[in-house]
Amino acid sequence: MKCAIDIESRDVEEMYINIDPIQAGGRLTADAMKAAISFADGYSVCDNCRSPFRLDYIQNPPIAQFHADLAAWLNMDTARVVPGARRGFQAVASTYVEKGDPVILTSLAHYTEFLAIEEAGGIPREIPKDAKNHITPDAVAEKIEAVIREFSKTPPLLFVDHVDYQFGNVHDVAAITKVAHQYDIPVLVNGAYTVGIMPVDGKALGADFVIGSGHKSMAAPAPSGVLATTNEHAERVFRTTQAKGDVTGRTFGIKEVEMMGCTLMGVTVVGMMASFPHVKERVKRWDTEVAHSQAVIDALLSIEGTTVLSDYPRQHTLTRVDTRGSFDKVAQQHKKRGFFLSSDLKKRGIIGVIPGSTKVWKFNTFGLTEKQIRHIGESFVEIARENGLNIV
Amino acid sequence: MSKRAVDAVFQALFLLSDVRFLLRETAPGHDLDEEQKKRAATTLEKVKRQVAILEEELIR
Repeated sequence: MKCAIDIESRDVEEMYINIDPIQAGGRLTADAMKAAISFADGYSVCDNCRSPFRLDYIQNPPIAQFHADLAAWLNMDTARVVPGARRGFQAVASTYVEKGDPVILTSLAHYTEFLAIEEAGGIPREIPKDAKNHITPDAVAEKIEAVIREFSKTPPLLFVDHVDYQFGNVHDVAAITKVAHQYDIPVLVNGAYTVGIMPVDGKALGADFVIGSGHKSMAAPAPSGVLATTNEHAERVFRTTQAKGDVTGRTFGIKEVEMMGCTLMGVTVVGMMASFPHVKERVKRWDTEVAHSQAVIDALLSIEGTTVLSDYPRQHTLTRVDTRGSFDKVAQQHKKRGFFLSSDLKKRGIIGVIPGSTKVWKFNTFGLTEKQIRHIGESFVEIARENGLNIV
Repeated sequence: MSKRAVDAVFQALFLLSDVRFLLRETAPGHDLDEEQKKRAATTLEKVKRQVAILEEELIR
């Protein structure tokens, strides 16, 4: 069925269980869908924009209150909605990083962190991960010392991922920020895989900036996200424009430079807002989500030759597995080659594993029902059994 | 201007969004349990009422 000329309707969430690693936490709630129907037009939230004409001051819909609620929920002082976590990285890097500055991030960092640094003229320097795919406070201290030796100056910013996108491992951010602060380096915590799906307390983490992704983890339309900070940094990162037209003499009120004025002017912010009450509730059920993840992993591990590359037992719903000793052996003989796995899963109503992947791949079980979780685990085992793999 | 018709369109779309959400919750088999069937029946009945309002306001 087409929803417009040449555009097929997207019905994969209705037809299948979707375990795509990046899509699980961004699936809309029913309320967000309703809000999207109502606010789909372009500048839809601007009907009641009044002086001082800025998104975070709009009372109807209650966007101003939403900003205050977001900050409080993250235990930070101030928040702004941004068009995706990456735009939050960009705003902070643009504020703190000068051309030629070294900026520290981790060897598990998302590529958009590199791009934010690059755009600001900074030079990225990576903290190595350890053998267990963790970023340790000791490694952070060593890297800071090495960078200071290399550049003869202290980095103006350090990025750390609360949970990394490669393994879905939870990193000891509180200990890492403690180290960075000993060198007076502000820390940006990338919460793209945490804010909105598990409890996040910015102050407890020692974060100077907490950045979340609406479309990855807050059940919101893309592109959306949140940049939250402390009073110490708010004035700088949310500085207002001083620009003045030399011909017209125009000035631009209290528009914030890094936000390019207003950020999410329609369906994105209203989608975030509509999901927010549900998001606040669902993070309280994080233990259940982790248990679901564990159940699927245990089913996979019952297939001889399968290993988990992420932390085990699981502490997150995003998991990286190695099936070179199981499904990939099947692929070598199978007429569909590596595509047999995604094909067999699809027959059972499961999508989200990259077609052709049978070696090392990721999946995310977030937001599924108990019954759906059981179906996934049983399906992996059935596929293994049908293809002659041993179940242990 | 028919505020009643406009409200009925939105209400019907919102109710159908609830049905859409039910399809997601029960994918891929869509085997609804008794509680879900009851919820679906109630919602669809409400949709019919909104469609009736639209017919009244726009066609008759």
